[in-house]
Order: sequence, then C-alpha cells, then structure tokens
Amino acid sequence: MRFKFDEQLELLNEELIVMGALCEKAIATSAESLATGDLELAGGVPELASRIDRKERDIESLCLKLLLQQQPVAKDLRAISSALKMITDMKRIGDQSADIADIILTAHINAGDDALSIGDMASAAIKMVTDSIDAFVKKDIDIAEAVIDYDDIVDGYFTSIKSLLTQRFSVPENDGEYALDLLMIAKYFERIADHAVNIAQWVLFSITGNREGGN
Amino acid sequence: MTKRIFRSTCFVAIAVLIACIVLIMGALYSYFSSVQMNQLHMQTALAAQGVNNEGLSYFDGLDISDYRITLVSPDGSVLYDCRADAGTMENHLKREEIQEALKNGEGESRRFSSTLSESSLYCAQKLNDGSVLRLSVAQKSIFTLVLGMSQPICVVLVVAIVLSLYLAYRLSKNIVRPLNELDLDDPLSNNDGYDELSPLLKRIDRQQKQLKRQANEMQKKQDEFTAITESMNEGLILLNPKGTIISINPAAAKLLDAGQFSKGKNILTVNRSLALQEVISDAVAGKSAEKIIELHERHYQVDASPVISDGAVGGIVLLLFDVTEKEDAEQLRREFTANVSHELKTPLHSISGYAEIIKSDLISPEDIKPFASKIYSEAQRMIQLVEDIINLSHLDEGADSMSFEDCDLYLMAQDTVANLSSEADASDITVTLSGDPAVIKGVPHMLSGIIYNLCDNAIKYNRPGGKVNIDIRDLASSAILSVRDTGIGIPPEHQNRIFERFYRVDKSHSKEVGGTGLGLSIVKHAAKIHGAKVSVESTPGEGTCISLEFPK
Repeated sequence: MRFKFDEQLELLNEELIVMGALCEKAIATSAESLATGDLELAGGVPELASRIDRKERDIESLCLKLLLQQQPVAKDLRAISSALKMITDMKRIGDQSADIADIILTAHINAGDDALSIGDMASAAIKMVTDSIDAFVKKDIDIAEAVIDYDDIVDGYFTSIKSLLTQRFSVPENDGEYALDLLMIAKYFERIADHAVNIAQWVLFSITGNREGGN
Repeated sequence: MTKRIFRSTCFVAIAVLIACIVLIMGALYSYFSSVQMNQLHMQTALAAQGVNNEGLSYFDGLDISDYRITLVSPDGSVLYDCRADAGTMENHLKREEIQEALKNGEGESRRFSSTLSESSLYCAQKLNDGSVLRLSVAQKSIFTLVLGMSQPICVVLVVAIVLSLYLAYRLSKNIVRPLNELDLDDPLSNNDGYDELSPLLKRIDRQQKQLKRQANEMQKKQDEFTAITESMNEGLILLNPKGTIISINPAAAKLLDAGQFSKGKNILTVNRSLALQEVISDAVAGKSAEKIIELHERHYQVDASPVISDGAVGGIVLLLFDVTEKEDAEQLRREFTANVSHELKTPLHSISGYAEIIKSDLISPEDIKPFASKIYSEAQRMIQLVEDIINLSHLDEGADSMSFEDCDLYLMAQDTVANLSSEADASDITVTLSGDPAVIKGVPHMLSGIIYNLCDNAIKYNRPGGKVNIDIRDLASSAILSVRDTGIGIPPEHQNRIFERFYRVDKSHSKEVGGTGLGLSIVKHAAKIHGAKVSVESTPGEGTCISLEFPK
C-alpha cells in the first residue's frame, strides 16, 4: 500500500516537472517570437497552453485521489497540497504566454527592433520560471529564495518600460495602440514573474512547512 | 549447537543416573530381603531349639523387640504370641508357612500387609511336640527404603547433576570450538577438528574460488565497460522504462549538469526539455527516435533506442553526440550555395536585360557599343567568379595532388606588380616592392594567387593617391610576405570574418568596387596548404597590413 503511495508521489513529481517544462517552453516560445517576429512560433503557443491545461487537470485529479485514498500527513501532505497550488500558477503562466502570443499575432509586434528593454524583461521572467521549476526539481531552498528576490528586477523592468511608454504617448504621431499592446505584454511578463514567485513560495512551503516564505 | 550438545549430554547423564539408582535399589532390596530371610531362618531354628529344650518358659526372658514369635498347636490354635493375646487370635492352621512346616518341618512365606506399606516375612518350624513355632519380621517396602535413603540420594543426585552440567558444558564447548574456529574465508587452512568436515570444507573452498573468479571476471567486464563509456566523448545514458537513470557516463553527466547522485533519479529531474521527453516516450513505446537538442549553446543529437527483452521494453539507451560542427558545416554549405547562386544571378540578370533591350531594337545603333561593353564586363565578372570558385574547390581538395617546388616570392611579387600596374595607374595608386629574394617550397600558381589577391584588394580598397607596399623578408626559419596599403581599413568587428567566402565589409558598395568576395578566402586556403600563418593589422581610415609567414 505504502509502496504504491510512494510510486504515486513519484509520478506526481514527474508530472509536475513535465508541466513545468511545458510552461518554460510556452514562455520561451512567446519571448522568442516576440524577439524575432516569427509568427509561426507564436502560433504554436496556444497549443502548448491547452496541453498545460490538460496537464493541470490530470495532476489535480491525481492529487485529489492521493488525498482521498492515502490520507497523507506531514511532508507528503505538504507536497501534495503545494502541488495543487503550484499547478494553478503554472496554468496561469501557460495562459499568459498564450495571451502574449495572441497579441504578437494580432498586433504584429516585433520587439527585436524596439529600443524598449522588453526582451531583457522576457529573459528575466523566463529565468525566474526556469529557476522556480529548478528549485522544485532539486528541492533547493536557495534557488527558491533567489527567485523570490529576483522579482524586484522584473518589477524594475516593468516600471522603466511603463515610463518609456508614457513618454511615447505624449508624442501624438506615435501609434497609441501599439504602445498599449507593448504595455500589455510587459504586464503579462510581470504577472508571469509573480506566478514564478508563487511557485517558489510553494516549493519553500513543501520543504520547510513555513508558509510565509522569503519575506 | 552448543546448547543442543549440552542438553543431550545432560539428559543422558541424568537418565543414566536415575536408571542406576533404580537398578541398584532393586538389586539391594532383593539382597536385603534374602539376608533378612536367612536371619529369620536362623532365629527360628534357635528359638525352636530353645522351645524344644525349655518349653514355654523359654519365652519368658526373651528380648523380642524385633521379631514376633507365635507358637501354634498342631490343630492351628495359637498357644502363644508375644505381641497379642493368644486366646483371641484366630486359628492359624490355614496359614501358608504353618501348612508347609507341618508338612516339611519348615516353612516360609511373605505377605503384604494391606494397611502398612510394608510386608512381613514369616518363617515356621515344626517342634518336637508337633506344634509349630513361627517367627515373623516386618520388612520395609522398597518405597520406604528409598524414602529412608532420600537424603543421601538427594545429595548424590544434586552432586551428580551439578557435575554433569559442568562436564556437559565443558564438553559441548570443546566439541563446538573447532567448528567455531573454522576460517570460512580460507576453509582448508585450519581444519584440525574433524575429518568428517573435510568434504564440506573442500567444497566450500572450491565454490569460494569459483565465486571469486566469477566476481573478478564481472569486475573486469564492468571496468572495461566503464573505461569505454568514461572515455567516450558521446554521452551515454541507460534508463529503465520508467525513465529512471540506471547508468550515466561522465560525458553525459557533464552535458546535462547531472550531479554524481543522479543515478537512480528520474531523467526528468536532470533535464526536462520537451524534445528529450518526446524521444524517451517514443523509445518507451518501442520505437527508436532521434532529435536535436540544445545544451550549453551547442547542438546535440539525441538517439533513443529501446532495449527489447522478452517482447517488452526493458530499458532505453540514450546517446548524445555533438552535431554543432556538422550543423555549422551544413549551414556554411547552404550559405555558400545561396551566395554563389546570388552572385551568379546578378550579372546574368544584367546580361539578359541588356541583351533583351538590344534584341527588341529599342535603342539606337550608336548605343549598342556601350551596351555590348556592359555585357562584356558582366560576362567577365562571371568568368572571374567561376574561376575563383574553381580555384577554391581545387584548394578545398587539399595539398595531396599539388607539386611543391622552389619559388622565389620576390620574383613573383615583381610579376604581380607588373601585371597590376595598369589597374594601379587607373586608380592613381603607387605600388612599391621592397625586401630581398626569399625562396620557399610552394605551389607557384597558388603563391602568385596569394600575392595577386592581396595586391588586388590593396589597390581596390584604397583611396586615390594611396600607396601599396609589398615587402618580402627572408628570415632564418621563415619568409614573411606583407602587403601594406593606405586604404580604407577594416573595422575590428569584421577582421575575423573577412576570410569567409563572399563576406563583404561594405555590402552596399561591393558592386562598384567589383571583385567576387572570394579573394581572401582563396588566400586563406592557399596559405593553409603552405602552412603559412596569416595575420591582419588594420585601422579603419588609415590602412591595412596583411602578413603571411611561410615556414621554410
């Protein structure tokens, strides 16, 4: 019985890693199509997002099954409940990557030519997502805390992009909609970074049992 | 084993002890009985004698504590009894010993008293007057006897049991000690104890040697396998069907940043790239698959093949090898092909355009000449290009088919300067030659190709009134050819790319300057064949100096 439980926990762990990998792929693809203007790449993101959704439902039912049938306690309970919370954040990352791809597809934004540091912001957000998944895979408190701290950098990028865009609005001949789309994309990256912070906090919770995490 | 021997020995000792006591008691009892009976006979004879001589008065002073004496008349009535009143006693005629005495003169019998745990011995003798004198004595039963002797028996038992316990303990220890002292790692070394164990020990010894041999062989094979996998550059990973790492070689561990404890973990925890997951899931389904993944900014091909055993996938072999260079070469080849077609297409378009205009009679006859000269120059350009490409492909084939001979770089440079003088004059550029004759081993047409291309570039990318200086130095171990110009120079970021085929620093003006973009590429290849080192010094706006150092 317990042996089966261990196997199921291991399966949960693997599924979470796969889901994390899908999220990484989704955001990386969005960011790449943003940088290169490759619309074909962006077209693949919604498909990834729906794969992430399916994965979320699979993991959710696996978690519920584990909770019902095995009645886990202590560390196992923390692992399963934080998995339940983490998949929500991962799903949001997938959704927001798809939203970014949508904007790129409709507005034909090519940030590669843009002076804005949106590409740097995208790399920072990708780094946070990758690191938060890494923290989960390696069960590493240090990486998780680094992710939480790194959020300030992404927030800083967002603020600077916002002020740059405000300047653009003041010039009447600039395309206002284009600037708005850029702002949306920046906001999505900022949200993705926040979700990465959430994941890192749940990783911390599953390891330490301390729900505050970081600050 | 010690316990068992101890128990058995104790059991035997105690059993023997009890058996001895029982037997001895039995034997003693019967001996005592017969002794008692003999005594009784003697006493009866004595008493009979006494009664014969003295009559009833014999009994008067008699000490009769041990024996019971009864005198029975021939008709059975009791005449005297020392323990009871003779008158009240019943007729004794029927008693066995009396009957016997009356018949034979003497009789004896033994009877158990029902009330007492003892039996009585009776002895009767017929007297001279026909009456019968009977003596009886109580005989204790064996039980009473044992009861009486219980104290000494107990002492004996306790002593014997303690002694047997002690001896059994020592004995069992002694029996087992040689067994305990057996060295099972080397069973034949000290088998002093028991010959009976020899076959067993020999067998153990043989099997141990066999095991050791097999373990050595296994270890050797394992070492060979490890040595092979450890020294190979390709990453090799063995997985079980669930994706757990069974074995990972150092190359793969380094590629995937897997720590030393990655064995036994799931491959997902080491690398979670989707491409890897796809090839693994294909392999789990029993199909071989391959994909290119990117690690550390290099491209690796991952081959996943299932290991089929008993009709099911028993494991997965992952092989990772670096295909970056192959990909790069492929990329270069594609670019080259694209460039060649582009470079060939441009003059062809011009030629076909001019020809079309001439064909359709759209121009006046006096304009035909300039058109023809344009067609001619474009055709020349194409010829030059094709020649360069042919040159390059010759160079690509390598030095094997070339014949090396002594060449004087100075003489060749002189020829080149003479050949290019008209072009130099046209661009208002002074070409000078300095240095000494330097003879090296080389392929003449390649060396002149090098000098020609360098000078040609120096003239082309110069400014009016500029200078080009060719310098030949003959050193002890090498000869140095350097071409210095006062031209436009090459920006630093382009300097390491100018030897690439079709690479142009200023792409937009290449057409005006002319040239094929292959010149320096030819120089590089020819220099490589001669083993020469090429160095570029350049300052944009001031000039460029390209030097080649030929080994002698």
